Formats: sequence, structure tokens, C-alpha cells
Amino acid sequence: MKTFNLPDLGEGLPEAEIVTWHVKQGDQIATDQPMLAVETAKAVVEVPSPYTGTVAKLYAAEGEIVETGKPLIDIDTGEDAAAGPPTAEEPTDSATPSAGDSGTVVGSMPVSDEELVETAVAGSRRRRESGKVKAAPAVRALAKKLGIDLAQVTPTGKGDRVTRDDVRGFQSAPASRPPVSLPPGTPERLRGPRRAMAQSMSTARDEVCPCTIFDDADIQYWLPGQDITVRLLRAIVAGCQAEPGLNGFYDGTSMTRQLESRIDIAIAVDTADGLIVPVVRHVEQKTAALLRDDLNGIKKSTRERTVAPEEMKNFTFTLSNFGMMAGRYATPVVVPPTIAILGAGGLRHDVVAVLGGIETHRRIPLSLTFDHRCVTGGEACRFLAAAIDDLRRPE
Amino acid sequence: MAKITLIEGVTMALAHEMERDESVIVLGEDVGVNGGVFRATAGLQQRFGKDRVMDTPLAEAMIAGVSIGMASQGMKPIAEIQFMGFIYPTVDQMINHAGRLRHRTRGRMHCPMVLRAPFGGGIHAPEHHSESTEALFAHMPGIRVVIPSSPQRAYGLLLAAIRSPDPVVFLEPKRIYRLQKQEVVDDGEALPLDVCYTLAEGDDVTLVTWGAMTFETQKAAKALASEGISCEVIDVATVSPIDMDTILESVEKTGRLVIVHEAARSCGVGAEIAAEVAEKGLYDLEAPIQRVTGYDAVMPLFRQEYDYLPSVQRIMDSVRRTLED
Repeated sequence: MKTFNLPDLGEGLPEAEIVTWHVKQGDQIATDQPMLAVETAKAVVEVPSPYTGTVAKLYAAEGEIVETGKPLIDIDTGEDAAAGPPTAEEPTDSATPSAGDSGTVVGSMPVSDEELVETAVAGSRRRRESGKVKAAPAVRALAKKLGIDLAQVTPTGKGDRVTRDDVRGFQSAPASRPPVSLPPGTPERLRGPRRAMAQSMSTARDEVCPCTIFDDADIQYWLPGQDITVRLLRAIVAGCQAEPGLNGFYDGTSMTRQLESRIDIAIAVDTADGLIVPVVRHVEQKTAALLRDDLNGIKKSTRERTVAPEEMKNFTFTLSNFGMMAGRYATPVVVPPTIAILGAGGLRHDVVAVLGGIETHRRIPLSLTFDHRCVTGGEACRFLAAAIDDLRRPE
Repeated sequence: MAKITLIEGVTMALAHEMERDESVIVLGEDVGVNGGVFRATAGLQQRFGKDRVMDTPLAEAMIAGVSIGMASQGMKPIAEIQFMGFIYPTVDQMINHAGRLRHRTRGRMHCPMVLRAPFGGGIHAPEHHSESTEALFAHMPGIRVVIPSSPQRAYGLLLAAIRSPDPVVFLEPKRIYRLQKQEVVDDGEALPLDVCYTLAEGDDVTLVTWGAMTFETQKAAKALASEGISCEVIDVATVSPIDMDTILESVEKTGRLVIVHEAARSCGVGAEIAAEVAEKGLYDLEAPIQRVTGYDAVMPLFRQEYDYLPSVQRIMDSVRRTLED
């Protein structure tokens, strides 16, 4: 049996007049079914039933005035035990805060004794490295479409973001080779520069048709104080001017080449983490002193690992100056989409045949690899000849 | 230790601060003799007297205006608006004066007032009594908008709001006024404003919400946990200014965001959060941001109000949808 008291229907009014009863004793009534109309100072208000059950008793007749909080109706709900805690989906006012106070002047206030158990942590407390892949939604969509796991793609974008090109590049790499199983040991996934090298070298192997020419530049008559790397850069400029076909890019899929007037030379630098290839920009416009400044900057930033990814992109030619350790000639690998790479071995004294006898001369061994898909052998030889010519000059 | 409801947390904070600080004044319609339409100020007039707990005429613009005047002269008024539906006459005072006083006087005056109002649907109230229009105030510079979602935060955040030197609109989710109880110690410890509260940690999706919707959102999170979906639940608590750091960090972790609010969808606070995440967290998103909100329609009368309010089911559907992407 539940007794329903007249709730406060209009902002704290002390009483209300019963206009009409919609139910009589013995009627079945459902929750929310209109029960009676009462008139307050403001309006006639319909009062819905808070319970489902049988009307057991009406405390006042139509026309009578009932005080707020006084009993209005008894409803036999068939159970006297309190129902379970109400949820917000189905609010009930079965448990009022205290007799005659529903806790609200309008409607019905959901009430329960359910204890709130929570651990609320204020603010952002965890500057954490989530280690998750960063990528624009469009790139994620592309990867999903191509069935590529972004975590496997080496990011080259700003802030270690995976770019559209990274995803496409990953896709073009042959994916369906039979898996290689390594013998027991401690395998190490390639990361960073070494991983980038692995990818670009695989692409080079798959795409480029390389051809390498070897020769030496005689520098016996150099004036003192010549800067070898700067002279090599200048020699490449001379080569490019004689034969522009080696400076630029080639796209084998569309059979398109794009030759460049700017000469931006990537310089391969060996580090413990792998190959880093920073770029000297606009070599054709720079004096020897400016080039030396750039080279010193590169040396510093590679040593400190501060070379930004942008600084390693968009070069038109590559120089690999490997000779300070060992090695005379090599077959340097062209990095697509560029067309050519010049390798310089160790400067050394060679026995050379000259007119009238034998002399020892200082020489730099050179190895020029070019992509034979878009460069002829003749062009490459003319390039190398011009470079050697420039290197021979005393200053 | 007392287990109390959210509304009792409000009362406890009011009483604590009135006891501690004589400049704290409570005013509003029926806050005195009657103890407030929801009993938030029950017993305060008997305890602190008619000079400090004042029944006002039915004139909301006046209530706000008088409060601004008192605040500018060193008092700390806490004004109650009976329902958020009646708050609109105060908007002129709040925008044109409360929010601007510090700026207008070049810092000579400020406005340490609190405008309290219950808001939101779900108690079967008549027209005008069920809307959630927090975005109106959130859009106004110079005004904080704070919404508690537990007895503890009602107590701690209201203390902080009263002690704040600048105006705070303190919106109380009335549907959960008496829905849950929690142990709250009356120790006068305020909780920080302008920060989110992380209610549950998770890895798969971030659920951002506030007010009464924390109830449904946490229910949804619990139900999803049984399906193996791990949800991080964040209560924004201060909807202006929003603590985006907490939200962005969570999105960085989960890559997915579902915003739940009771208010209408268009130009709601959820839109602002979505825009901020799009600007600053785009590269962390693995799926489109989802919003589960009320509809762009007039809040229906009480028979249909639960069709309007986001349900546990709608929240769960959205979470599953975002995980499909």
C-alpha cells in the first residue's frame, strides 16, 4: 500500500482544490495515468499516478481543498517492499526525501539511496607518450583501403606523421614475398634512418636500371688549401651544366622526366644509426665559402641528430664521398626519383704514365651511377668528363 | 562520514562558506522561508538570518543586477534562479555587466558572484523547466560555466566558484540531484575549476560529457566493458573555459571521441570540443568524432522527454559505430 501526498504543484503554494477525480476506489491505475486534476493559484494541473496498482482510498472529494503534503490517495501496489533503486531511464518518486517534501515543486524528482562510487581525477596528469601512429584521417582511410597497417609504415612527415606518400610508397614495396625466417637469435627491427635506407634501397633495386662509369680526376696541380668536398660539389655543377639530363627526377611509371635548373645535392653521411642524407641547396649559386658553411652546418646537425626530415627531401643529385675510410671505386645506388649519383673514393697517389715517363700524381677515383632508363651512356660520359675537367683546375 | 546527495552537497558548500566568510550572501526566489524550490538552501535562513539569506521578488534581471552590484562592492552573492528556463532575463546583466566588469574598470573592480540554476530534463516538469542551454553562457567571455556531476564535485566546485574572483554560472543537473549518494567530508576543500575530471580510464574510445549525462555515459561505459570495449570517461565539469589538454591527451591515447550532452546539437558545447579536437588532435583521430545529443527541437513535454535525452543505448550505438571505422 502506497500513500501519495499532494505534492507542491506551484512554487510553494500551501494548498490546492481538487477539480476532478479521474479514478475511483477499486479502479486499476497505471504509472503516469492521469489521476486527478487540481487547481492551484496558477492553473489547473493534471496529476499523474506515480504507481501502478489498485486505488484503495481517496482522501478528499471533488471541490475540497487539500493542504500540500497531506494524503491524497492510497494505491495498493501489491507489494510493500521498496522497489529496487530507480534508474534515470525510469524515474520514480517512490522515496521522497521526507514526508510531504518531494524535493521539487514540479514534476517528480528521481531519488535513490544508491551509493556513487567513483575515482575522479582532476585535470591532465599524464604527459604520456602513447606511441601511437600519427596520421591524418585521409591517410588512415587510404591505408585502410589499401589494407596497410600504419604501424608498419615509416613516417616521414612533420612530427613523425605518416603521410600519404609514405603509405603509397609502402604499398609499392613488394609485400607478398614469402616470409624469411631468421635462425634463432635476437632479431632487431630496423628503425629510423636505417629503416629509411632499407626502404629507399629496395625501391631503387626494383625500379632503377643502374649503370656505373669509373674514372679518376687528376688533382696534382691543385693549389694549396683546396676543400675536397666543396670542389666535388663544384664539379657536379660543372657536370650538370655540360649535361643537364642527370640533374632532376624520373618517374618510370609515367615515363616522365623532370630536369631541374636548381642543383640541390644530397650528401650521404655515415652515422651509427645508419645513413643520413642531408641536402645542400642551390649549390650552383653558392661560393666556396658559403658551401663550406653549409657543410659545417650539416656535419653539426647530423652529429647532434637534429636534421629535420624536410632537410633530407627534394634533392636533385647525390654525392657519396666515401673515400676517407677505404674504397676506391663503388657502384653507388641511385635514389629514385633522382637520376644520378657520384661516388668519390679515397684521394691517393697513383703512378701515372705521362709524356716522356712515369710520375706519381694525386688523384680522386670517381664512380658515376646513372639511371639508364632516362640517361644515355654518352650523356653520362660527357657529364663525368666535365666534372673531371673542373676538378683538374688548380683552384 | 555522511553519505549525501548532490543537492545536499550544494547546501553543505553554501553553509560552509557562509559560516567561513561573512561577505557570502544567498538570494533568490523562495530561498529563505521555503528553502528553495529544490531545497538547496533549506535551513540557511534560520541559521544565518534574513540579512544573509534573502527572499527576492520574482524578478530575475533584478536578482542578477543586485548580485553584480554587491559583488563589485566586496560581497560574495550567490543568486539562485529557480530553473534555467527563467535565467534568460539575467542574460543582459551577465553579458553586459558581470562578464565585463573587470575589463571595463581596467581591473579596478571585479565580480565575485555565483549564479546558481538547476538545469536539464528528466524530472517530468512542465514547459520551460527542462532545457540545457549552458552553451549560451559558455559563449560569453568573462563568465565561467561550471557543472558538477557528483555530490563531491557539487560541494568542491561550488566552494571554488564562490571563492573565484570572477563570475561563475553554476548549473546543477537536477535529474541527479537525489539519484546517488556519496560520502562527502565538510572540510572546506575546494576542487579545481577549469579542469576536466577523468571518471574512468580506458584505451579504446574517449567519452566526453558533463552534468546528468555522466550517469548514462558511465552506465554505457560499464555495459561496453562487458563487450571488451574499454572507454575513458571524462566529465568536463567546467564547460567554459574547457580544459582541452585532458581531452586531447585522452584522444591521443584512444584515437576515438564520442561527445555526449543533453543540450540541443547545433552550436552546443560539444561542437566546440569537436572543433578543438579537429584543430589540435586531428592526426590522432582514427575515426570521425561522434556526438550523442538532444535534438535541434524544442524540448518535448514530459511524456516524451526520455525520447529527447540521450539514452544509454544511443551512447553505446555511437561508441560501436566509432569503433567500426
